[in-house]
Amino acid sequence: MTQVKLTARDLEMSFGSRRLFQAELLELRQGDVIYLQGDNGSGKSTLMKILAGLMQPTKGNIEAAGFVRHAWWQRNPLLGKAVYLHQHPYLFDGTVEYNLNYGLSFSTEAKTKAKQRTAQAIDMAQLGSLLHARASNLSGGERQRLAIARAWILQPTLLMLDEPTSNMDKDSQALVLQMIQQLKQEGTGMLLSSHQNCALTAICKQQWHIEGERVLISSQSIQTTPIEGSLYVVAH
Amino acid sequence: MNDGWLALLQQALSLLFSLDPDVWSIISVSFTVSFAALLITLVPSMVLGFVLAFSPFRGKWLVTNLVQTLQSIPTVVIGLLVYLLLTRNGPLGDLKWLFTQEGMILGQMLICAPVLIAMSQAAFTSVDRRAWETSRTLGASWGRAVWTVCRELRMPLLLAIVAAFSRILTEVGCSMMVGGNILNVTRNIPTAIALETSKGDFAQAIALGLVLLILALLLNFALGSLRGKAMPRSH
Repeated sequence: MTQVKLTARDLEMSFGSRRLFQAELLELRQGDVIYLQGDNGSGKSTLMKILAGLMQPTKGNIEAAGFVRHAWWQRNPLLGKAVYLHQHPYLFDGTVEYNLNYGLSFSTEAKTKAKQRTAQAIDMAQLGSLLHARASNLSGGERQRLAIARAWILQPTLLMLDEPTSNMDKDSQALVLQMIQQLKQEGTGMLLSSHQNCALTAICKQQWHIEGERVLISSQSIQTTPIEGSLYVVAH
Repeated sequence: MNDGWLALLQQALSLLFSLDPDVWSIISVSFTVSFAALLITLVPSMVLGFVLAFSPFRGKWLVTNLVQTLQSIPTVVIGLLVYLLLTRNGPLGDLKWLFTQEGMILGQMLICAPVLIAMSQAAFTSVDRRAWETSRTLGASWGRAVWTVCRELRMPLLLAIVAAFSRILTEVGCSMMVGGNILNVTRNIPTAIALETSKGDFAQAIALGLVLLILALLLNFALGSLRGKAMPRSH
């Protein structure tokens, strides 16, 4: 199986005249679990959105290796495979079940396998009794669990989690940790941001720190070995 | 309510329930013309509203203000403009649409479009950006993400459609000038009410007014029911 890797080179992001951050080389590969730190407004969410293919950087390029190339009208191969979860997740108007199944309609996963995975996600996130409830009626913790379960079902190759356990009680945090650990075992590469050290940050093997408009990488050096498989630029 | 009023109401109801051909022809013209104008204008106007909400192009401010202004132009002025366009010596005179339903449709399109564009632009501007991002990151194509955003905004978009439809279904000025109020051809509910009232034939005017009232009630109840289901969003 070809390993999936995102490589961002000479990345720079500015809003108008305000430069948010720059980074010479960032790599996020399948199996990595990276803790992204930085002060409020330093650009953590923006960096995650860029790596998930939701935003274009001001400068630099991002190469995606190992992602399935789509048809020409679906140019960005990251969408649906490198999933970004908002700090305050957006739930679509409808039931919990509708939200859980939303991504599956775009997935190429076999129906039986998708059904099995959905049932497992419902069980892990303890959403069984809420399936027919309106998503807008859920509590903060339930919303977060639903958003993570919705992404979990898709079995993303990369997952960006923006403050995933903020406003969560300990039980919900434990459920989320269980789901994230399972994704880690399945080989999903993860980039997660958090303001405080918690059980989630403890599973991270590497740290990126946005400081002084630069993205600094923790002591571990990044391997830049070439990877087999398709390689193409998704942002330039 | 005195006996005269009651008698008028009875006559009006009798006209409606006895399927009076003149009354139902007028109702049919009204709905045919207004539905056609709405259907033709709907998609292009919504697309323009979407573009105005999300595309930062030069002159956007001007276009937005122009659309807002067009909303408040009296229908009789639009009627005059369409009349001048369709008159025999006008630029569109060869079409021979003056005093036809096609001409009325053209006029109602010009009345309907600014309402749809402005209200859909306002709806799209108010959308939570996370709806688009969530849809895309979960794998939706561009088109499916647009559809999802429209689904999330279905209440304000439906309100835009209802407001635009109400405006064209009840306008008199343009229909009178461009249609000419010809029975069984271009006479619609508002022009018929104006004519029958001036003639003193209140029964038919009341019958047609009742149709508009019932329609307004039905639309509002339907919207109210939908609004009830769409709970306020929390973050």
